[in-house]
Amino acid sequence: MIGYVAGRSPLHRAHPYTTLTLAGAVLFAAFAMTEPATVWLLVLAGAALAATGGVLRPSARTALAVSLPIWALLFVLYGLMGADPRVAVGPLSLSAPGIARALVLGGRVTAIVLGFLTALATTSPHRLVEAMTARGVPFGRTFLLASTLTVLPRMQERAARILEAQQCRGLRLGGSVPARLRALGPLALPLIFGALAEVDEQVLALDVRGAATGGRRTPLDPPPDTRPQQALRWGLLLLVAAAYAWKFWRMRA
Amino acid sequence: MTPRLALAGVTFTHPGADRAALRGVSLELTAGEIAMVAGAAGAGASTLLLVATGLAPRLVGGTLAGSRTIGARRCGIVFARPWTQLTGLCSTVEDEVAFGPASLGRPLAEVRAAASHAIRQLGIAHLAGRDPAHLSGGELQRVVVAAILALGPELLALDDPAAELDPAAADALYALVPSLAADGMTILIATPDVERAARVATRALVLEQGTVVADGRPADVLPVTEVGSLARAAGCPPPYPLDVPALLARIAPDAGGRAHDSSDAPPAGSGPDTGAIAR
Repeated sequence: MIGYVAGRSPLHRAHPYTTLTLAGAVLFAAFAMTEPATVWLLVLAGAALAATGGVLRPSARTALAVSLPIWALLFVLYGLMGADPRVAVGPLSLSAPGIARALVLGGRVTAIVLGFLTALATTSPHRLVEAMTARGVPFGRTFLLASTLTVLPRMQERAARILEAQQCRGLRLGGSVPARLRALGPLALPLIFGALAEVDEQVLALDVRGAATGGRRTPLDPPPDTRPQQALRWGLLLLVAAAYAWKFWRMRA
Repeated sequence: MTPRLALAGVTFTHPGADRAALRGVSLELTAGEIAMVAGAAGAGASTLLLVATGLAPRLVGGTLAGSRTIGARRCGIVFARPWTQLTGLCSTVEDEVAFGPASLGRPLAEVRAAASHAIRQLGIAHLAGRDPAHLSGGELQRVVVAAILALGPELLALDDPAAELDPAAADALYALVPSLAADGMTILIATPDVERAARVATRALVLEQGTVVADGRPADVLPVTEVGSLARAAGCPPPYPLDVPALLARIAPDAGGRAHDSSDAPPAGSGPDTGAIAR
């Protein structure tokens, strides 16, 4: 699951800036944390956020799919080849500081991916556009951000259609590694060229509909932004700033 | 009256192309005129629409030679594929239609009024609250047309607008065209659906390899054999909508028998009928 999932959870109803600030706070906080315990607390916070948005299961599944290969790499790099002292885990002799480092780095990746996916799943691109329009953000920037949020689901949908079409024409996806690599061409090329052709036409369509006028757009239905939400966003910013201050103070001490 | 569009000897070449897509095209369109552009695939009809609306070469790239004056205050274009014309940013049809007027910074009440009027014109009021992402191709195309109409264009270019529509919806779309023209809109239609377009067009241009080879009333300039074969393929029993036999008797008496026989019907703009279609 990568993309917006309609729902009525508190995160879905929140102002889009709030959900994006939450994801941003997880991102920056992850780099401020240096201990495995605090990083994994952040992972739990990310999971709690996904649960609040009603998207824990799909977000966690995708986050694990993204994180697991990175964990494996970190385990090999730091756990097996890390510095002494070492601890015996079954037949393996692992580096204790290396494992701690791998847990920090792996936890960071998991927390960031989880936070990002949760924000993606609960932030309606339409509400985000309306919120940004209401703040007077130029349409070019609004479109860039909103398109970034929608590009992955659109590409997934298109890839599925191309896959079906190519399989109907006899494309076989199984077999040896070279055969699988050969099958990538008929999938990737229509995906890329088709997307480029559609972007060309969409640029024309958006231009005709006044998107490039450069003037201030009229917001149609801007989402309400409450004082508690504004306070939450400022609170998160201060928290992240405090976390970095704590990190740098400890580094100097 | 100031023409909405005036082209004089316009030649346009797409970026990277070794030959021009339009060659020496001269054309003048006034308010309320409905011009259809007929021609085989690759004849340059879609390119003519891009040039007419000012999108080429401004956004498309390429080179334009000759004189072009766009008198229309606002131009709109509808392409064949509706899904590429959606913003992808609106969660309801109503907001999708309102996107254009909102982009122009018009007051909210005016934006909403323009959107509802366009939605009513296209007969899609029942879709107003639906998510555009969940509509069929035909429904989407009507949403796209409504979105363009909401902008109040003075020049509307329709590039095969009924490609995604079922016959009834295509008929409904073409039926709307004369009323738009009656309100003063200039309409330029490029489509292989010659039969439907010819019913509403007041003028027809036939393009061959980027050159206008015929320009006049549809009944006078269209390749009659093409109309006949299209009508037959669509299952229309004679007499055909344009009364092809009568037309043939008037403009090409010796070709009357061939119009009913698709097996030896020459392609558009070629063969013995070419003389009949030239201005």
